[in-house]
Amino acid sequence: MKRARSIFASAAIFVLAALLQGCGGGEQHPLNTITTKSDFARWITNLFVEITVLDLLVLAAVLITFILAIFFFSTRVGNPAPPSTTTSDLRVEIAYTLIPALIIIAILVPTVRTIFRSQPYLPPKGSLQIEVVAHQWWWDFSYMDSSHINTANELHIPTGVPIRLNLESNDVIHSFWVPQLGGKRDVVPGQANELTFTASVPGEYLGECAEFCGESHANMRFRVFVQTPEQFAAWEKAQEAPPGTIPASETAAAEGQKVFENSPCTTCHTISGVSKGYIGPNLTHFGSRTTMAGGIEQNDPHNVAEWITDPNQVKPGVYMPALGLRGTQLNDLVAYLESLK
Amino acid sequence: MAAQPKPLPLEPRNYLKGGGLIGWLTTVDHKRVAVLYGVTALFLLGIGGLEALVMRLQLWEPNNHLISAHFYNEMFTMHGTTMIFLVLMPLELGFFTNFVMPLQIGARDVAFPRLNALSFWIFLVGAVLMHLSWIWGGFPNRGWFGYANLTESYYSPGLNIDFWDISLLILGVSTLLTAINFFVTMVMMRAKGMSYMRMTLFCWAMLVTVILVLLAFPALTVGLLFLLLDRFFGTHFYIAAYGATPILWQHLFWLFGHPEVYILALPSFGIISEIVPVFSRKPLFGYPMMVYSIILIGFLSYGVWGHHMFATGMGPVADSAFAITSMLIAIPTGIKIFSWIATVWGGSLRMKTAFYFALAMIVEFTIGGLSGIMHASAPVDLQQTDSYFVVAHFHYVLFGGVMFALLGAIYYWWPKVTGKMLSEKLGKWQFWLTIIGFNGTFFPMHWLGTWGMPRRVYTYGAGLGWTGLNQFETVCAFILGFSFLLMYINLVLSTARGEDAPADPWDGRTLEWAVSSPPPEYNFANPVEVEGRDAYWLMKYGRGGAREAQMFAEGKIPPVPQNMQAPPEKPIHVPTPSIFPLLIAGCLFMVAIGLLIGWWRIMEIGGGTMFICIVGMCLEYPKWGEKSHNLDEEAPHSLGIDLRKAGLWTFLGSECVFFASLIATYVVYKSRNFGGPGASILEIPLTSGSTFALLMSSLMMVLALHSIEQGRVKWMRFWLVCTMALGCVFLGVEAFEFLGFFQKGLAMQTDLFGQCFYTLVGTHGVHVTIGVIWLGSILASSFRKNFGKSKALSVEMVGLYWHFVDIVWVVIFTLVYLMQQVKGA
Amino acid sequence: MSEITQVIETGPFEEHPAHPGAGAYVIVAVALCILTALEVTVAYLPALRPVMIPVLIILAIAKFALIAMFFMHLHYDSRLLSTFFLGGLLAAFVLFIALLFLFVYLDRHRAIIM
Repeated sequence: MKRARSIFASAAIFVLAALLQGCGGGEQHPLNTITTKSDFARWITNLFVEITVLDLLVLAAVLITFILAIFFFSTRVGNPAPPSTTTSDLRVEIAYTLIPALIIIAILVPTVRTIFRSQPYLPPKGSLQIEVVAHQWWWDFSYMDSSHINTANELHIPTGVPIRLNLESNDVIHSFWVPQLGGKRDVVPGQANELTFTASVPGEYLGECAEFCGESHANMRFRVFVQTPEQFAAWEKAQEAPPGTIPASETAAAEGQKVFENSPCTTCHTISGVSKGYIGPNLTHFGSRTTMAGGIEQNDPHNVAEWITDPNQVKPGVYMPALGLRGTQLNDLVAYLESLK
Repeated sequence: MAAQPKPLPLEPRNYLKGGGLIGWLTTVDHKRVAVLYGVTALFLLGIGGLEALVMRLQLWEPNNHLISAHFYNEMFTMHGTTMIFLVLMPLELGFFTNFVMPLQIGARDVAFPRLNALSFWIFLVGAVLMHLSWIWGGFPNRGWFGYANLTESYYSPGLNIDFWDISLLILGVSTLLTAINFFVTMVMMRAKGMSYMRMTLFCWAMLVTVILVLLAFPALTVGLLFLLLDRFFGTHFYIAAYGATPILWQHLFWLFGHPEVYILALPSFGIISEIVPVFSRKPLFGYPMMVYSIILIGFLSYGVWGHHMFATGMGPVADSAFAITSMLIAIPTGIKIFSWIATVWGGSLRMKTAFYFALAMIVEFTIGGLSGIMHASAPVDLQQTDSYFVVAHFHYVLFGGVMFALLGAIYYWWPKVTGKMLSEKLGKWQFWLTIIGFNGTFFPMHWLGTWGMPRRVYTYGAGLGWTGLNQFETVCAFILGFSFLLMYINLVLSTARGEDAPADPWDGRTLEWAVSSPPPEYNFANPVEVEGRDAYWLMKYGRGGAREAQMFAEGKIPPVPQNMQAPPEKPIHVPTPSIFPLLIAGCLFMVAIGLLIGWWRIMEIGGGTMFICIVGMCLEYPKWGEKSHNLDEEAPHSLGIDLRKAGLWTFLGSECVFFASLIATYVVYKSRNFGGPGASILEIPLTSGSTFALLMSSLMMVLALHSIEQGRVKWMRFWLVCTMALGCVFLGVEAFEFLGFFQKGLAMQTDLFGQCFYTLVGTHGVHVTIGVIWLGSILASSFRKNFGKSKALSVEMVGLYWHFVDIVWVVIFTLVYLMQQVKGA
Repeated sequence: MSEITQVIETGPFEEHPAHPGAGAYVIVAVALCILTALEVTVAYLPALRPVMIPVLIILAIAKFALIAMFFMHLHYDSRLLSTFFLGGLLAAFVLFIALLFLFVYLDRHRAIIM
């Protein structure tokens, strides 16, 4: 009996320690749902914490009665004390029906309130609307304000301004999820879904596709840069402009532009003033992005070259073909792409 | 009457003995069918487990390249599909219910033994087919949930999704047949004196389970049918570009899928409710509450499917409604958990492995239930759904809840099934390793989910803080795998050289412990009469508790009472083995594989042979020791209703849901239709005529029944011919109508209206065609000798089916034709 | 052996509650025809357009019930069979209404492609 008690005590301590561990650690766990950075995420986390506390109370009640029943208020076969013959007890039965019912009500009220609060029918006043189009396996962002920026896989938003994402899919069902900024919302072909939230803390937040969308579902990630309104305005301004002409000194990049212009790249990719493809991501300001290939790799010349050489190696199933560019041609093209700041 | 069922020798014969391989292949004994299910499912359990281990190895470290993305997707698809459809359901329904339920209700077999065998062979066809797609380019790889439109040909061009779709349809047929069979068995074949409130909790759980199967599976069938049409015939049931929506699949799938969770969970509640009282040596606490809570769970489970879809954007009203219904389920579930604990409270515990697993299930399932409450809160679910938090949750429910109960059931009922005891020592080892492995694998997933790790990813990036827990989980998963290896060793050792089991090793309370281990072929030598709940307990101890107290003090398990060991008073007719279930399933396999790989010749041969076999199975009937011959004795609760008729009515109830899904799709999609001619193409005058023909055919049908009830066979033939003729007129008009529409440019692929119209009306037409064939076969058999009044039931059965098709048409005629002008709904 | 054959020959149907005579069947059939005629009339009369849907539904239910009760003998057979069928029917109805609500009344999404 004593051994059992010490086992349970240490188990309880372990669980508590583990629970605490789960709540902290925003740094080590950049995708965690607990350190919230928006109103939407905060509402959910408050609800989550409330339910967790109530759940733990119920779990404790079950465990305590369970342990009492097995170790204290029963005997073993062979023990001469005969078993109890009780087959029902109305008071007990009413208690374990009513108390859970009350707990359920305590959870339901804030739940329903949060449901309605987090899904406003119309975009809030003064909100920044962004059209998010999901593709297998990358994200396309179009700003619906006066700037009409179109970019891919890296979303920039200001703090303090309500954000209204209009989610649409180009192919199959995806799900838009930035854990620190709130819950996910499926991106369904033929259905205009939306997500509304206001980010509160500047920073770089990771996002990912959360609905299985085919072979490279795991490789459909993205980043959200939450910036102060000033920083955001500056970014928007830089993005609005077409990429600057390449200085003659950068021969590699200039050569690379020719490679690009004369390659099948142009059928799929847009570079403002150069090409008008629409199947793949917009590359106008590719060099200004920190990541590439659906947010799975750092944007550096080595990775870009590797990607162009064999995209399928990096992202299995990807629609972009290997173009067979090698040597100087490849290096020039990479230099050109990286110059698109 | 060449082959009469032969009376059995008086000495009880162990059901496992005799017959050889042919005996097993042609068996219709519920216990043998159960063993076939059990062996198959335990084998597939090993495969499903290995698939899980492959996934765990791939997730060992970030950016791992052990297996490809493609292979990983195949693994999680096959793991989910296998565990749910090929392991848990067949273990629960096929193995334990098949074996134990007839014994617990004091029956000699299930209501339709040949149908039971047919269910198994069809299940086997589905299971084999699901894996065979590997030969034609890979396993299914779109998840067990197969969300449209990813499963459409454009995004999944391979044959593997076709295999998945058709295998699931076939498994659905098998499960539906099983459900009808068990439903009729439990409603009608309970022993004398066994009222509903004296039924064992396990049987109660199974009764509600099979009702859920009957009402939920048709929705899946319809969803799969749409997918099949999309992939084979180019319709667009889930393609947004034509105005349809892939969300329809999710609604149909989860309309089936959430009841399915309770189809898996309720039997495990039943199993725990059997094990806990036996090993606590106490009656179950709060039996009536337990029964009501099972019914309530079953009822509510039909209205909560939307909680799988909170993230799809159903809108706040639907979100709130589904959140409320989902949370309400927690109340009856809580009642169950506390009642089990209250049963243990004050007991005299027999600490055997089966009891260990049952007790562990109570705790593990509670954890799964509590995290379920989190998902029921729609906003919280938005953070948790499709993350590892949900993986943790449903493994606590399906492994901690269901698999633990099944492990308990294996240790509890194995002596009854094989007549051999399992090793307790190995059992306890397995128990502790399972506990460590299971909790170690799945509990940390709560954190992974909270830290944002999504499900179904074949790899993950470095620096996200997920690596450590993933490695810990992989290690624990191997411990878990090892614990199952111990179980297999235990099962094999026990079968090979286990200790012989007595009839009643655990001091059981229910009737299966009143027969020898393993039970005789006919289960009970003489009809059983039941005097109360815990029927066998009352038999061996009587009322009052005096004998109970005395035996308890002596520490003995009383022997099986004399009257249960008495030799049969009358000759017993056990059902004759039949080769047709196996043959029909074999033909079904040919048809399916022919359809899938486009080998039309094999499909034709299979289809033709299948038709012959079905006719053969029907003609076999008169020679065959069916239950209904001594209805009062075999089915004391039948109220004089023939079991086959009850089975047909059950099937018709299930068909209602099938047609409701089709009709609902028609109404919804009609409102989204654009382009194409639309509903205005329909012609009411023409269809009014065919409606008239169908209504009149129903009159002819009842007149045929009236004639045969009067013994006038010739008149019956006349009216049957009239019925068939009018049925053919109806079909002819339909064909004419379809041809006209084709000429006006409305094909199945034209628009949403076209595909829904042809599917709905066409499916009804197929039902009419089956009816005409059935009528024809009755007409043909009426020329055999001995066709007289006694065959009125055959005519009544085909009549019921015919009238049902007629009333479905009444609904279609009104909703589709007469309301054609109504825009949307 | 002869005893068993006997049982097969007669079967258990003798005890069944008597089914109605041919006359009753014909009356039901006539009623069905009249109801169908009424349905078609209602569908064609512009004056009845506002109440068309409820009237058509009521008429269809009447036909449904007539066939189920008299042709399918639910009126004469044990209530148990009615329960089996009505259970399925209830589930079917719930499913139909739920899908209608989810897709039509609660749908706040405009279809993108129209």
